[in-house]
Amino acid sequence: MNRHGKNVGSYITLFAALLTGSTAFSSYASVTWQGKIQVSTFERNEWKSWLNRGWSNNRFDAQIDSVVISRAWADVRVDLAQAWSLHSSMQYVPDPDDSLGFTEAYLKYNPLSNSPYQWQVKLGGFYPAMSLENPSVGWSSPYTYSFSGINAWLGEEIRTFGTEIEWSRLGKRLRSPHDFSVHVGLFKGNDPAGSMLAWRGLASHDRQSMFNESIYFNPVKALYERPLRFQAPFVAPFTEVDGRFGYYTGVHWDYQKRQQLRVYWYDNHGDPSAINFSTGQYAWDTRFLSVAWLYKLDKQTRIIAQWLDGKTSMGPRRGVDNNFSSWYALISHQMDAHRISARIERSWVVDHDDWAFDPNASENKALTLAYRFNLNEHWQTGIEWLRQDSHVVSRAAAGLAMDREESQWRYVLEYQF
Amino acid sequence: MKKRLCLLLASVLGVTPSLWATTITITDSDGKPLENAVVWLTPKETSAFANSRHYEMGQKDRTFTPHILPVPKGASVDFPNFDDILHHVYSFSDTKPFELKLYRDKPHAPIQFETTGVVELGCNIHDWMLGYIVVVDSPYFALTNKQGIAQLTLPAEDYQLAVWHERFADLNTPERLNWQSFDSETKLTYAIKQRLVDKFELLVDEFDDYE
Repeated sequence: MNRHGKNVGSYITLFAALLTGSTAFSSYASVTWQGKIQVSTFERNEWKSWLNRGWSNNRFDAQIDSVVISRAWADVRVDLAQAWSLHSSMQYVPDPDDSLGFTEAYLKYNPLSNSPYQWQVKLGGFYPAMSLENPSVGWSSPYTYSFSGINAWLGEEIRTFGTEIEWSRLGKRLRSPHDFSVHVGLFKGNDPAGSMLAWRGLASHDRQSMFNESIYFNPVKALYERPLRFQAPFVAPFTEVDGRFGYYTGVHWDYQKRQQLRVYWYDNHGDPSAINFSTGQYAWDTRFLSVAWLYKLDKQTRIIAQWLDGKTSMGPRRGVDNNFSSWYALISHQMDAHRISARIERSWVVDHDDWAFDPNASENKALTLAYRFNLNEHWQTGIEWLRQDSHVVSRAAAGLAMDREESQWRYVLEYQF
Repeated sequence: MKKRLCLLLASVLGVTPSLWATTITITDSDGKPLENAVVWLTPKETSAFANSRHYEMGQKDRTFTPHILPVPKGASVDFPNFDDILHHVYSFSDTKPFELKLYRDKPHAPIQFETTGVVELGCNIHDWMLGYIVVVDSPYFALTNKQGIAQLTLPAEDYQLAVWHERFADLNTPERLNWQSFDSETKLTYAIKQRLVDKFELLVDEFDDYE
């Protein structure tokens, strides 16, 4: 991943850095943080990762050190004044090149009121809260190390650079066991979202993109054909291309923290004919529905499932026009300091356009098994086995088999501060 | 008057007035034992009572601990945070409105509760958190256990029994019994008159913080 030109993310990064810097020493602000350093070692994978412009759906390959700080991250919260707070998530990742940056940075206004109906506003760069798999610090998962294909893609290409307003109904103030909230987001700077689905497909991993990052594609042959000559060999997912606003709406239902349901409709309202020639980025018309459900059988055991279904297209005549769909189901059980989790998932990208030179169809089936153990308050260790069976049609043009079965063991040691 | 003379005589003679063990059982209107009911006995001859005891309403695992804390009028309560995250505790109740802005560990000063009544507690970061402080006009109070039983030790006097439960439709109105004399070991059972609202049973864990 590299940085290319100015994008909305760089302005948000600058804004976050300035705000953090200016408030950190203010006597009126209180600063709190949480973070983790994660060291991983893994089974060597000779097939190059997409991060190194290869064809593997695994994040780690033989190009990376065999023992590596796979991520170091911190969430910082700065309370500025009554009801106003600044939140940011920063991370260091080693792959493909050592890089440091923000994954989230936003201001929040959360007034305290006695009404059962509350509201709050976010302003900045942040994740729409559509998932239930990533509730830990730095949008990480406490269940498996690799995220499902759905959340790996959201972490890679989806971010809100704008505002979200939330209205919620606090059940406890109405003596009701049901909490509801409605979320409406308005944003810019997420126009190229969908590119990775076309030229790599969905894959399970935990490599989140930072605000001003670009992600290189696999060496897809079609990207060097004339109709795609203006498309750069990378996506800069958080850039503005067409000048139009995108939006999302979401509804959360929560039943006594035993069951939660989140339904979101996301539409970046991209104009597929718009292109930024200098950055080589098209605006993709990307829209999808996400339904996430969490059910706690008891204090120890929970099931989480999510389904994503959408469309994405680019080009004046929608030369790339794909449908995508994915689901996963995860079960996790905790016994004292031990947690075991298993997840199955399946993802599809279906090619609907008539550009035969650019086949985008792909399919990925994955199984993830993870065991994590809290050594003490600060240290956690764990092991994960990730199996991904992928079918990517564009591999054929590179002289590769379209089908590939990959599995990888990963051992992790984490320090939490 | 006779009783007061006896007490006066007892104190002149250096004899401690005798204390009577009292067992109060609270049930719902169907006769099932009611746990976590606050019961208190207000003496007819109210006199000032010492408030030297230390009270704590902690926050642990994103819940108020204890969930319900009965205290005598004038009590000071600390709000220690046993979690490794911030809490922002508040009350909008008329009995005692207050706000303890974001803090770890323990806020500097305890909060004093001078008025009787119910204080509903919340946290501005963790919307689901709910706790109650019930401020009573008596030093004789207790919470019922799983069997619906509260045990009190009190000097012989005329008392009025009051009962409060978080499942009352009107949280500001306790149920009260007529005055009665407690001058021997007493066992009393009281069935709540009203229909109780549904019970809340949250299943909260550390992953419910996600904003």
